[in-house]
Amino acid sequence: MNLNNQKIIINIEDSEYLNWKIYLKSKFKMLNSCNIEIDSKNLKLSCTDISEIIEIANQYNCKIIGFSSTSEKTIVSIHSLGYKSHFSIESSSKNTSQIDDNNQIFSKTNFHQGTVRSGEYLDSPGDLLILGDVNPGAKVSAEGNIMIWGRLLGIAHAGSKGNYQATISALQLRPVQLRIAKKVARGPEEKPQLGMAEQARIDSEEIVISPLETTYFEKSN
Amino acid sequence: MATDTRVILICSGKGGVGKTTLTANLGISLARQGLTTAVLDADFGLRNLDLLLGLENRIVYTAQEVLEEECRLDQALVKHKQESNLSLLPAGNPRMLDWLKPDDMKRIVEMLKEQFNYVLIDCPAGVEDGFKNAMAASQEAIVVTNPEVSAVRDADRVIGLLNTNSIKPVQLVLNRVRPKMMANQEMLSIDDVTDILALPLLGLVLEDEQVIVSTNRGEPLTLNSLNSPAAKCYLNIAKRLQGEDIPLIDPAEESSGLGAKFRRLMQTKIF
Repeated sequence: MNLNNQKIIINIEDSEYLNWKIYLKSKFKMLNSCNIEIDSKNLKLSCTDISEIIEIANQYNCKIIGFSSTSEKTIVSIHSLGYKSHFSIESSSKNTSQIDDNNQIFSKTNFHQGTVRSGEYLDSPGDLLILGDVNPGAKVSAEGNIMIWGRLLGIAHAGSKGNYQATISALQLRPVQLRIAKKVARGPEEKPQLGMAEQARIDSEEIVISPLETTYFEKSN
Repeated sequence: MATDTRVILICSGKGGVGKTTLTANLGISLARQGLTTAVLDADFGLRNLDLLLGLENRIVYTAQEVLEEECRLDQALVKHKQESNLSLLPAGNPRMLDWLKPDDMKRIVEMLKEQFNYVLIDCPAGVEDGFKNAMAASQEAIVVTNPEVSAVRDADRVIGLLNTNSIKPVQLVLNRVRPKMMANQEMLSIDDVTDILALPLLGLVLEDEQVIVSTNRGEPLTLNSLNSPAAKCYLNIAKRLQGEDIPLIDPAEESSGLGAKFRRLMQTKIF
Protein backbone atom coordinates (compact mmCIF):
# COMPACT_ATOMS: atom_id res chain seq x y z
CA MET A 1 0.00 0.00 0.00
CA ASN A 2 1.55 3.30 -1.01
CA LEU A 3 0.26 6.19 1.03
CA ASN A 4 3.00 8.57 -0.04
CA ASN A 5 1.85 12.04 -1.03
CA GLN A 6 -1.61 11.28 0.23
CA LYS A 7 -3.29 13.50 2.77
CA ILE A 8 -4.32 11.75 5.97
CA ILE A 9 -6.35 13.53 8.62
CA ILE A 10 -5.75 12.51 12.22
CA ASN A 11 -8.43 13.40 14.73
CA ILE A 12 -7.45 13.67 18.32
CA GLU A 13 -10.55 12.26 19.99
CA ASP A 14 -11.85 13.41 23.34
CA SER A 15 -10.84 10.17 24.99
CA GLU A 16 -7.25 10.68 23.92
CA TYR A 17 -6.84 14.19 25.32
CA LEU A 18 -4.76 13.23 28.31
CA ASN A 19 -2.23 11.17 26.45
CA TRP A 20 -2.38 12.79 23.03
CA LYS A 21 1.39 12.50 22.65
CA ILE A 22 1.35 8.73 22.95
CA TYR A 23 -1.72 8.57 20.75
CA LEU A 24 -0.06 10.62 18.01
CA LYS A 25 3.13 8.62 18.25
CA SER A 26 1.29 5.38 17.60
CA LYS A 27 -0.61 6.98 14.71
CA PHE A 28 2.57 8.29 13.11
CA LYS A 29 4.16 4.89 13.48
CA MET A 30 1.32 3.28 11.57
CA LEU A 31 1.28 5.91 8.86
CA ASN A 32 5.05 6.03 8.26
CA SER A 33 5.99 8.69 5.65
CA CYS A 34 2.69 10.38 4.91
CA ASN A 35 1.43 13.90 4.60
CA ILE A 36 -0.73 14.48 7.64
CA GLU A 37 -3.28 17.00 8.70
CA ILE A 38 -4.10 17.09 12.39
CA ASP A 39 -7.49 17.99 13.83
CA SER A 40 -6.89 18.74 17.49
CA LYS A 41 -10.53 19.75 18.23
CA ASN A 42 -10.64 22.03 21.28
CA LEU A 43 -7.37 20.80 22.74
CA LYS A 44 -5.29 23.76 23.90
CA LEU A 45 -1.76 23.36 22.55
CA SER A 46 1.20 25.65 23.16
CA CYS A 47 4.03 26.35 20.75
CA THR A 48 6.16 23.80 22.55
CA ASP A 49 3.45 21.15 22.16
CA ILE A 50 3.20 21.79 18.46
CA SER A 51 6.96 21.76 17.92
CA GLU A 52 6.92 18.47 19.76
CA ILE A 53 4.24 17.05 17.48
CA ILE A 54 6.28 18.08 14.46
CA GLU A 55 9.39 16.54 15.94
CA ILE A 56 7.62 13.24 16.64
CA ALA A 57 6.25 13.29 13.10
CA ASN A 58 9.73 13.83 11.70
CA GLN A 59 10.97 10.77 13.54
CA TYR A 60 8.55 8.67 11.54
CA ASN A 61 9.15 10.57 8.29
CA CYS A 62 5.68 12.06 8.40
CA LYS A 63 5.10 15.55 7.17
CA ILE A 64 2.55 17.78 8.90
CA ILE A 65 0.86 19.84 6.22
CA GLY A 66 -1.87 21.46 8.26
CA PHE A 67 -3.74 21.75 11.48
CA SER A 68 -7.31 22.45 12.33
CA SER A 69 -8.62 23.34 15.71
CA THR A 70 -11.47 25.00 17.53
CA SER A 71 -9.18 26.43 20.20
CA GLU A 72 -7.91 29.96 19.64
CA LYS A 73 -4.84 29.30 21.73
CA THR A 74 -3.86 26.41 19.48
CA ILE A 75 -4.47 28.44 16.33
CA VAL A 76 -2.27 31.25 17.58
CA SER A 77 0.50 28.82 18.55
CA ILE A 78 0.31 27.14 15.16
CA HIS A 79 0.48 30.44 13.34
CA SER A 80 3.30 31.76 15.42
CA LEU A 81 5.29 28.72 14.28
CA GLY A 82 4.38 29.51 10.68
CA TYR A 83 2.07 26.58 9.88
CA LYS A 84 -1.21 26.60 8.04
CA SER A 85 -4.33 26.11 10.07
CA HIS A 86 -8.03 26.73 10.10
CA PHE A 87 -10.79 27.01 12.59
CA SER A 88 -13.35 24.29 12.40
CA ILE A 89 -16.87 24.72 13.67
CA GLU A 90 -18.45 21.91 15.54
CA SER A 91 -21.84 20.76 14.28
CA SER A 92 -22.02 23.64 11.84
CA SER A 93 -25.09 22.24 10.11
CA LYS A 94 -27.21 22.79 13.21
CA ASN A 95 -26.09 26.36 13.61
CA THR A 96 -26.63 27.54 10.07
CA SER A 97 -30.39 27.38 10.41
CA GLN A 98 -30.22 30.15 12.99
CA ILE A 99 -28.44 32.59 10.72
CA ASP A 100 -30.69 35.40 9.69
CA ASP A 101 -29.47 36.57 6.30
CA ASN A 102 -30.98 40.02 6.50
CA ASN A 103 -29.45 40.98 9.80
CA GLN A 104 -26.15 39.21 9.25
CA ILE A 105 -26.01 38.00 12.80
CA PHE A 106 -23.75 35.04 13.19
CA SER A 107 -24.57 32.27 15.55
CA LYS A 108 -20.99 31.81 16.62
CA THR A 109 -18.91 34.60 18.07
CA ASN A 110 -15.33 33.81 18.76
CA PHE A 111 -13.84 35.56 21.67
CA HIS A 112 -10.22 36.36 22.28
CA GLN A 113 -8.88 37.93 25.43
CA GLY A 114 -5.46 39.57 25.43
CA THR A 115 -3.25 41.52 23.09
CA VAL A 116 -2.90 40.15 19.57
CA ARG A 117 0.79 40.76 18.91
CA SER A 118 2.85 41.28 15.77
CA GLY A 119 2.97 38.15 13.60
CA GLU A 120 -0.07 36.57 15.25
CA TYR A 121 -3.19 35.77 13.27
CA LEU A 122 -6.73 35.17 14.39
CA ASP A 123 -9.47 33.86 12.15
CA SER A 124 -13.09 33.22 13.00
CA PRO A 125 -15.88 31.54 11.06
CA GLY A 126 -18.42 33.85 12.70
CA ASP A 127 -18.07 37.16 14.48
CA LEU A 128 -14.88 37.94 16.29
CA LEU A 129 -14.74 39.79 19.59
CA ILE A 130 -11.34 40.81 20.90
CA LEU A 131 -10.82 42.09 24.40
CA GLY A 132 -7.44 43.77 24.00
CA ASP A 133 -5.32 45.56 21.43
CA VAL A 134 -4.50 44.36 17.94
CA ASN A 135 -0.91 45.50 17.53
CA PRO A 136 0.82 46.61 14.32
CA GLY A 137 1.89 43.56 12.33
CA ALA A 138 -0.95 41.40 13.65
CA LYS A 139 -3.88 40.30 11.51
CA VAL A 140 -7.40 39.45 12.53
CA SER A 141 -10.08 38.18 10.20
CA ALA A 142 -13.65 36.97 10.52
CA GLU A 143 -16.42 35.83 8.24
CA GLY A 144 -18.71 38.10 10.19
CA ASN A 145 -18.12 41.32 12.10
CA ILE A 146 -15.03 42.24 14.05
CA MET A 147 -15.39 44.03 17.36
CA ILE A 148 -12.34 45.15 19.25
CA TRP A 149 -12.56 46.35 22.82
CA GLY A 150 -9.20 48.04 22.52
CA ARG A 151 -7.07 49.59 19.80
CA LEU A 152 -6.87 48.29 16.27
CA LEU A 153 -3.38 49.07 14.99
CA GLY A 154 -2.83 46.07 12.69
CA ILE A 155 -4.82 44.61 9.81
CA ALA A 156 -8.48 43.60 10.11
CA HIS A 157 -10.54 41.72 7.55
CA ALA A 158 -14.27 41.44 8.18
CA GLY A 159 -16.63 39.46 6.00
CA SER A 160 -13.71 37.42 4.74
CA LYS A 161 -16.00 35.08 2.76
CA GLY A 162 -17.56 37.97 0.88
CA ASN A 163 -20.09 39.48 3.28
CA TYR A 164 -20.27 43.17 2.29
CA GLN A 165 -22.47 44.01 5.29
CA ALA A 166 -19.75 43.11 7.77
CA THR A 167 -18.34 45.84 9.98
CA ILE A 168 -15.19 46.47 11.97
CA SER A 169 -15.52 48.38 15.20
CA ALA A 170 -12.89 49.35 17.74
CA LEU A 171 -12.43 51.75 20.62
CA GLN A 172 -9.59 53.27 18.65
CA LEU A 173 -9.48 52.58 14.94
CA ARG A 174 -5.98 53.21 13.61
CA PRO A 175 -5.30 50.20 11.41
CA VAL A 176 -2.54 49.73 8.88
CA GLN A 177 -5.13 48.36 6.50
CA LEU A 178 -8.85 47.54 6.60
CA ARG A 179 -10.56 44.93 4.48
CA ILE A 180 -14.25 44.23 4.24
CA ALA A 181 -15.20 41.38 1.90
CA LYS A 182 -13.12 42.15 -1.20
CA LYS A 183 -12.64 45.87 -0.55
CA VAL A 184 -9.32 47.10 0.74
CA ALA A 185 -8.58 50.47 2.32
CA ARG A 186 -5.51 51.95 3.90
CA GLY A 187 -5.84 53.19 7.45
CA PRO A 188 -6.50 56.85 8.17
CA GLU A 189 -3.42 59.09 8.31
CA GLU A 190 -4.65 61.50 10.95
CA LYS A 191 -5.00 60.53 14.58
CA PRO A 192 -8.53 59.66 15.60
CA GLN A 193 -10.35 61.57 18.31
CA LEU A 194 -9.86 60.07 21.70
CA GLY A 195 -12.72 58.59 23.59
CA MET A 196 -14.86 57.79 20.61
CA ALA A 197 -15.44 54.27 19.38
CA GLU A 198 -15.44 54.00 15.61
CA GLN A 199 -16.81 51.66 13.03
CA ALA A 200 -15.77 50.86 9.48
CA ARG A 201 -18.33 49.59 6.97
CA ILE A 202 -19.00 49.67 3.26
CA ASP A 203 -21.03 52.62 2.05
CA SER A 204 -21.54 53.05 -1.70
CA GLU A 205 -18.67 50.80 -2.71
CA GLU A 206 -16.18 52.47 -0.35
CA ILE A 207 -14.98 51.63 3.14
CA VAL A 208 -15.94 54.52 5.40
CA ILE A 209 -15.17 55.12 9.06
CA SER A 210 -17.69 56.81 11.29
CA PRO A 211 -18.39 57.08 15.02
CA LEU A 212 -19.91 53.84 16.22
CA GLU A 213 -23.70 53.90 15.92
CA THR A 214 -25.66 52.58 18.81
CA THR A 215 -28.27 51.26 16.40
CA TYR A 216 -25.77 48.55 15.57
CA PHE A 217 -26.35 47.03 18.95
CA GLU A 218 -30.11 47.44 18.72
CA LYS A 219 -30.11 45.60 15.43
CA SER A 220 -28.26 42.74 17.04
CA ASN A 221 -30.96 42.41 19.66
CA MET B 1 24.46 25.31 46.02
CA ALA B 2 21.99 27.99 45.02
CA THR B 3 18.42 26.82 45.28
CA ASP B 4 16.49 29.78 43.90
CA THR B 5 18.49 30.46 40.76
CA ARG B 6 16.90 32.91 38.37
CA VAL B 7 17.31 32.01 34.72
CA ILE B 8 16.75 35.11 32.62
CA LEU B 9 16.58 35.21 28.84
CA ILE B 10 17.73 38.46 27.27
CA CYS B 11 16.17 38.76 23.85
CA SER B 12 14.91 41.34 21.36
CA GLY B 13 13.98 39.86 17.99
CA LYS B 14 15.80 42.56 16.09
CA GLY B 15 19.59 42.55 15.98
CA GLY B 16 21.83 45.32 17.18
CA VAL B 17 19.53 46.76 19.84
CA GLY B 18 21.91 45.95 22.69
CA LYS B 19 21.17 42.46 24.00
CA THR B 20 24.79 41.46 24.39
CA THR B 21 25.81 44.81 25.90
CA LEU B 22 22.99 44.53 28.43
CA THR B 23 23.93 40.93 29.26
CA ALA B 24 27.57 41.87 29.86
CA ASN B 25 26.79 44.93 31.96
CA LEU B 26 24.03 43.25 33.92
CA GLY B 27 26.35 40.31 34.58
CA ILE B 28 29.05 42.61 35.95
CA SER B 29 26.57 44.63 38.03
CA LEU B 30 25.00 41.54 39.60
CA ALA B 31 28.41 40.05 40.29
CA ARG B 32 29.45 43.30 42.01
CA GLN B 33 26.50 42.92 44.36
CA GLY B 34 28.02 39.67 45.45
CA LEU B 35 25.75 37.38 43.44
CA THR B 36 27.31 34.52 41.56
CA THR B 37 26.30 35.01 37.96
CA ALA B 38 26.76 32.97 34.81
CA VAL B 39 26.33 34.50 31.39
CA LEU B 40 25.56 31.94 28.70
CA ASP B 41 26.20 33.05 25.13
CA ALA B 42 23.45 31.26 23.22
CA ASP B 43 24.27 33.26 20.10
CA PHE B 44 27.08 30.93 19.16
CA GLY B 45 26.86 31.48 15.41
CA LEU B 46 27.90 35.08 15.87
CA ARG B 47 29.25 34.95 19.35
CA ASN B 48 30.63 38.14 20.80
CA LEU B 49 29.73 38.22 24.45
CA ASP B 50 33.29 37.03 25.09
CA LEU B 51 34.61 40.06 23.18
CA LEU B 52 32.57 42.48 25.25
CA LEU B 53 33.81 40.93 28.45
CA GLY B 54 37.40 40.79 27.16
CA LEU B 55 37.54 37.03 27.60
CA GLU B 56 37.99 35.88 24.02
CA ASN B 57 41.51 34.56 24.49
CA ARG B 58 40.59 32.51 27.56
CA ILE B 59 37.97 30.29 25.97
CA VAL B 60 39.17 26.71 25.71
CA TYR B 61 36.02 24.60 25.92
CA THR B 62 32.36 25.33 25.24
CA ALA B 63 29.05 23.91 26.47
CA GLN B 64 29.20 21.55 23.51
CA GLU B 65 32.25 19.78 24.96
CA VAL B 66 30.60 19.68 28.38
CA LEU B 67 27.53 17.93 26.98
CA GLU B 68 29.69 15.50 25.04
CA GLU B 69 31.56 14.84 28.28
CA GLU B 70 34.87 15.84 26.81
CA CYS B 71 35.44 18.18 29.74
CA ARG B 72 33.91 19.17 33.06
CA LEU B 73 31.66 22.18 33.47
CA ASP B 74 34.16 24.11 35.57
CA GLN B 75 36.76 23.67 32.82
CA ALA B 76 34.46 25.29 30.28
CA LEU B 77 33.41 28.18 32.53
CA VAL B 78 35.56 31.25 32.00
CA LYS B 79 35.90 33.34 35.13
CA HIS B 80 36.07 37.10 34.65
CA LYS B 81 39.48 38.68 35.22
CA GLN B 82 38.37 41.28 37.77
CA GLU B 83 34.91 40.17 38.87
CA SER B 84 35.37 36.66 40.17
CA ASN B 85 31.64 36.18 40.77
CA LEU B 86 31.00 36.34 37.03
CA SER B 87 31.58 33.41 34.69
CA LEU B 88 31.04 33.08 30.98
CA LEU B 89 29.97 29.92 29.24
CA PRO B 90 30.03 30.00 25.44
CA ALA B 91 27.33 27.70 24.09
CA GLY B 92 29.26 26.32 21.18
CA ASN B 93 31.67 26.59 18.36
CA PRO B 94 30.71 29.02 15.56
CA ARG B 95 31.66 26.39 13.00
CA MET B 96 29.14 23.80 14.19
CA LEU B 97 25.83 25.52 13.98
CA ASP B 98 23.14 22.87 14.18
CA TRP B 99 24.25 20.67 17.03
CA LEU B 100 22.21 22.36 19.75
CA LYS B 101 18.68 21.21 20.56
CA PRO B 102 16.29 22.65 23.17
CA ASP B 103 17.00 19.66 25.44
CA ASP B 104 20.73 20.34 25.32
CA MET B 105 20.10 23.90 26.38
CA LYS B 106 17.95 22.71 29.29
CA ARG B 107 20.70 20.35 30.42
CA ILE B 108 23.35 23.09 30.37
CA VAL B 109 21.14 25.45 32.33
CA GLU B 110 20.32 22.74 34.89
CA MET B 111 24.05 22.31 35.47
CA LEU B 112 24.59 26.05 35.81
CA LYS B 113 21.69 26.37 38.24
CA GLU B 114 23.56 24.24 40.76
CA GLN B 115 26.36 26.76 41.05
CA PHE B 116 24.98 30.22 40.41
CA ASN B 117 22.42 32.73 41.74
CA TYR B 118 21.77 34.15 38.30
CA VAL B 119 21.98 32.64 34.83
CA LEU B 120 21.69 35.24 32.05
CA ILE B 121 21.15 33.83 28.56
CA ASP B 122 22.20 36.07 25.69
CA CYS B 123 19.72 35.15 22.98
CA PRO B 124 20.50 35.40 19.25
CA ALA B 125 18.51 37.80 17.08
CA GLY B 126 15.54 36.41 15.17
CA VAL B 127 12.71 34.08 16.15
CA GLU B 128 14.10 30.89 14.62
CA ASP B 129 15.82 27.86 16.14
CA GLY B 130 18.43 29.82 18.07
CA PHE B 131 15.73 31.78 19.86
CA LYS B 132 13.61 28.70 20.49
CA ASN B 133 16.57 26.82 21.98
CA ALA B 134 17.40 29.70 24.28
CA MET B 135 13.74 30.10 25.26
CA ALA B 136 13.34 26.42 26.14
CA ALA B 137 15.69 26.73 29.08
CA SER B 138 14.49 30.06 30.49
CA GLN B 139 12.03 30.93 33.24
CA GLU B 140 11.77 34.68 32.82
CA ALA B 141 12.80 37.15 30.16
CA ILE B 142 13.99 40.68 29.55
CA VAL B 143 13.03 42.08 26.16
CA VAL B 144 15.40 44.78 24.91
CA THR B 145 14.13 47.29 22.39
CA ASN B 146 15.01 50.69 20.96
CA PRO B 147 12.59 53.58 20.57
CA GLU B 148 12.11 52.94 16.86
CA VAL B 149 9.27 51.31 14.94
CA SER B 150 11.11 48.27 13.60
CA ALA B 151 12.64 47.30 16.95
CA VAL B 152 9.28 47.68 18.72
CA ARG B 153 7.54 45.57 16.07
CA ASP B 154 10.07 42.75 16.45
CA ALA B 155 9.91 42.96 20.24
CA ASP B 156 6.13 42.61 20.03
CA ARG B 157 6.51 39.43 17.99
CA VAL B 158 8.98 38.02 20.49
CA ILE B 159 6.72 38.87 23.44
CA GLY B 160 3.89 36.99 21.72
CA LEU B 161 6.12 33.92 21.44
CA LEU B 162 7.29 34.22 25.05
CA ASN B 163 3.66 34.40 26.18
CA THR B 164 2.64 31.29 24.24
CA ASN B 165 5.52 29.48 25.93
CA SER B 166 4.36 30.76 29.33
CA ILE B 167 7.57 32.52 30.26
CA LYS B 168 6.87 34.86 33.17
CA PRO B 169 7.59 37.61 34.05
CA VAL B 170 8.62 39.37 30.86
CA GLN B 171 10.08 42.82 31.47
CA LEU B 172 11.14 45.57 29.12
CA VAL B 173 14.38 47.51 28.77
CA LEU B 174 14.30 50.51 26.47
CA ASN B 175 17.80 50.98 25.16
CA ARG B 176 19.57 53.84 23.34
CA VAL B 177 17.19 56.54 24.50
CA ARG B 178 18.13 60.02 23.25
CA PRO B 179 16.38 62.49 25.55
CA LYS B 180 16.74 65.42 23.11
CA MET B 181 15.16 63.55 20.23
CA MET B 182 12.41 62.30 22.51
CA ALA B 183 11.70 65.82 23.72
CA ASN B 184 11.46 67.02 20.10
CA GLN B 185 9.16 64.08 19.31
CA GLU B 186 11.56 62.79 16.68
CA MET B 187 11.76 59.47 18.46
CA LEU B 188 9.05 57.20 19.84
CA SER B 189 8.28 58.26 23.39
CA ILE B 190 8.40 55.90 26.35
CA ASP B 191 4.61 55.92 26.43
CA ASP B 192 4.40 55.02 22.73
CA VAL B 193 6.55 51.97 23.35
CA THR B 194 4.96 50.79 26.59
CA ASP B 195 1.48 51.36 25.12
CA ILE B 196 2.11 48.89 22.32
CA LEU B 197 4.16 46.34 24.19
CA ALA B 198 2.11 46.47 27.41
CA LEU B 199 4.98 45.28 29.60
CA PRO B 200 6.41 46.59 32.88
CA LEU B 201 9.43 48.78 32.20
CA LEU B 202 12.51 47.47 33.98
CA GLY B 203 14.63 50.38 32.89
CA LEU B 204 15.81 52.91 30.36
CA VAL B 205 19.34 53.10 29.04
CA LEU B 206 20.53 56.40 27.67
CA GLU B 207 22.44 56.57 24.40
CA ASP B 208 26.10 56.85 25.32
CA GLU B 209 29.19 57.01 23.13
CA GLN B 210 31.18 55.35 25.89
CA VAL B 211 29.37 52.08 25.10
CA ILE B 212 31.24 51.80 21.81
CA VAL B 213 34.55 52.58 23.46
CA SER B 214 33.96 50.00 26.17
CA THR B 215 32.92 47.34 23.65
CA ASN B 216 36.08 47.83 21.65
CA ARG B 217 38.17 47.62 24.79
CA GLY B 218 36.44 44.56 26.12
CA GLU B 219 35.63 46.26 29.43
CA PRO B 220 31.93 46.71 30.15
CA LEU B 221 31.02 50.20 31.35
CA THR B 222 29.83 48.96 34.71
CA LEU B 223 33.33 47.66 35.41
CA ASN B 224 35.42 50.82 35.30
CA SER B 225 33.46 53.83 34.03
CA LEU B 226 30.73 54.04 36.63
CA ASN B 227 30.12 57.72 35.98
CA SER B 228 29.01 57.36 32.39
CA PRO B 229 25.24 57.83 31.92
CA ALA B 230 24.66 54.37 30.48
CA ALA B 231 26.58 52.65 33.28
CA LYS B 232 24.28 54.24 35.86
CA CYS B 233 21.27 52.97 33.93
CA TYR B 234 22.67 49.43 33.84
CA LEU B 235 23.36 49.50 37.58
CA ASN B 236 19.82 50.66 38.26
CA ILE B 237 18.42 47.85 36.13
CA ALA B 238 20.45 45.31 38.09
CA LYS B 239 19.13 46.75 41.36
CA ARG B 240 15.52 46.72 40.15
CA LEU B 241 15.97 43.13 39.05
CA GLN B 242 16.81 42.42 42.68
CA GLY B 243 13.53 43.97 43.74
CA GLU B 244 14.87 47.37 44.84
CA ASP B 245 12.53 50.27 44.21
CA ILE B 246 14.52 52.80 42.20
CA PRO B 247 12.64 55.46 40.24
CA LEU B 248 13.10 55.59 36.47
CA ILE B 249 15.12 58.47 35.07
CA ASP B 250 13.09 61.11 33.31
CA PRO B 251 14.43 61.73 29.80
CA ALA B 252 12.83 65.17 29.77
CA GLU B 253 15.03 66.15 32.69
CA GLU B 254 18.11 64.77 30.97
CA SER B 255 17.34 66.65 27.78
CA SER B 256 17.41 70.14 29.21
CA GLY B 257 20.96 71.45 29.08
CA LEU B 258 23.49 71.84 31.81
CA GLY B 259 22.34 75.40 32.49
CA ALA B 260 18.81 74.31 33.31
CA LYS B 261 20.11 71.52 35.49
CA PHE B 262 22.30 73.95 37.37
CA ARG B 263 19.44 76.39 37.87
CA ARG B 264 17.22 73.65 39.19
CA LEU B 265 19.95 72.60 41.57
CA MET B 266 20.32 76.20 42.75
CA GLN B 267 16.60 76.53 43.27
CA THR B 268 16.38 73.40 45.37
CA LYS B 269 19.29 74.62 47.47
CA ILE B 270 17.84 78.10 48.04
CA PHE B 271 14.20 77.30 48.74
